[in-house]
Amino acid sequence: MASSTLASATADRRWEVLRRAAGARLAPFGAAVLLVAVITALAAPLVAPHDPLRQNLGNALARPGRAHLLGTDNVGRDVMSRVIWGTRVSLLAGFLSVAIAALAGSLLGVVAGYAGGRVDGLVMRLMDAVLSFPPLVLALALGAVLGAGLTGVLIALGVVYTPTFARLMRGQVLAVKARDYVDAARALGAPGWRIAWHYVMPNAATPIVVQASLSVAFAILAEASLSFLGLGIQPPEASWGSMINAGRGYLQQAPWIVFGPGAALFITVVGLNFVGDAVRDALDPRARD
Amino acid sequence: MARLVLQRLAATVPVLLLVTAGVFALLHLTPGDPIDAMMAESADATAKASLRAELGLDRPLHVQYVAWMGRLLRGDLGHSIRNGEPVLENVSRRIRPSLQLALLAMAISLLVAFPVGIASAVRRNTSVDRVGTTFALFGICMPNFLLALLLIFLFGVTLRWLPISGYVDPAEELVDGLRSLALPAVTLGLALAAVVTRTLRSSMLEALTEDYVRTARAKGLSEWRVVRGHVLRNALIPVVTVLGLQLGTLIGGAVITEYVFALPGIGRLVVDGVFARDYPLVQGVVLLIAVGFIASNLVVDLLYGLIDPRIRHR
Repeated sequence: MASSTLASATADRRWEVLRRAAGARLAPFGAAVLLVAVITALAAPLVAPHDPLRQNLGNALARPGRAHLLGTDNVGRDVMSRVIWGTRVSLLAGFLSVAIAALAGSLLGVVAGYAGGRVDGLVMRLMDAVLSFPPLVLALALGAVLGAGLTGVLIALGVVYTPTFARLMRGQVLAVKARDYVDAARALGAPGWRIAWHYVMPNAATPIVVQASLSVAFAILAEASLSFLGLGIQPPEASWGSMINAGRGYLQQAPWIVFGPGAALFITVVGLNFVGDAVRDALDPRARD
Repeated sequence: MARLVLQRLAATVPVLLLVTAGVFALLHLTPGDPIDAMMAESADATAKASLRAELGLDRPLHVQYVAWMGRLLRGDLGHSIRNGEPVLENVSRRIRPSLQLALLAMAISLLVAFPVGIASAVRRNTSVDRVGTTFALFGICMPNFLLALLLIFLFGVTLRWLPISGYVDPAEELVDGLRSLALPAVTLGLALAAVVTRTLRSSMLEALTEDYVRTARAKGLSEWRVVRGHVLRNALIPVVTVLGLQLGTLIGGAVITEYVFALPGIGRLVVDGVFARDYPLVQGVVLLIAVGFIASNLVVDLLYGLIDPRIRHR
């Protein structure tokens, strides 16, 4: 009986959170953008009208038209198809790097907050040191030594975003650690990992989800910046940042090479920002009040 | 205040030590042999061995670190592999355009953000506010390199009003110098302006609901005097914090902006170093940027204490 009441209360709360998120003014637009981007990324081979890598020098720099909705680039590749395939890279880089950072940061935060003392001091100074580098400069330096490519970008961005999550999680752990039910669990002899898993993590999950949803858009921008500088996905594979960089030499003759992927990047980031804001408003009790 | 300065300085020491360790480790994160990464495969074994000895890579790690730190403390940040010059010399040659760019960008951001932010807050929920908030959203979501290319397309390629690349020192040729920095500074400044606008708007909205504002209005002060004398002064504190927090974004943005507009600044130096696999140069410049970033954050921290007495006496 009690468990069914609890389950229905949890379901009610989830529904309430969803309702609030959807109720935010611009959230539906953001959600629609995210949905389209995810579907495009998953179904890229089906929805791309042309092979994104096939060159056709006889049809280079073709204007946008029926055959090529966003025109062609300097070697005759279809810009639209490359934008569609580029969605995969952007979303993958955005979500995976934030997932890496959330996981690593949460673990470090739990360890620091739970252990306290010297371990806490060491972990948090380490996070301060990472935060002492301007994010893009750190990502650039890491990307340089790890080598160009998606893996290097994921690790570099993962490292850059880890301290934010570590600080957040540590704060939550310190707050939850002081609660009576944690004392009770400890008195009952529950081991440290169990307390962390059953009591600390569920309570600390909300701010982590909020932070993650706000970080994805910035991670996508950062990946595009690194790819623009030549450190992300390497040509001929399509990524929005590297497409824009390749097209800047043709700005006068064929601006569509830059503005096609540019528009995709901008709209995706705006959409994700709206979703992030809506998630924050729905989950953050202060924003709700 | 002196105690606050000492406290903040003391807290910086361990972070600085970890930063140096991180920068030192950079070279050792390279998959495989860093010497192979820096020199072409074809480079002869003697040249490779001499570079290895020069960088001390043939010695144990802790010995390398101690020697590297010793050199750092003597002001020796190493030598660039490309031109053989000390890193500090490379940096000092490039710092001028970067500082000019940063100062101009900061000025543009404040010139844009203050009128827009104040108008947005004072005319809340009107079309003025909607334009202001849309501008802020646009600036936050727009990547630097895309904005740079848009401006190049509009003012350089289409209207042909401004140069799209290259650098002229404004100290030597004022007009041409400002023209060469105009597009890069607007690119960088608008991104910063967006964040400042958003912060100023929300902190002003908060201040507008305070009791002292109601009191000032009840005394019969004009709305402009209320805003200028009571709201704006109190709303400035979060703006200073945000300006400090945005320093990192400004430096990152400068890297991209200098790259797009071919400005010979520090950001361009890092990117060139990365592509030339000139790791000692990258290490040195990244360390300098990080130390500069820590120092500016420290200054902002202290400035914050100066503006808000509550922080000073905490």
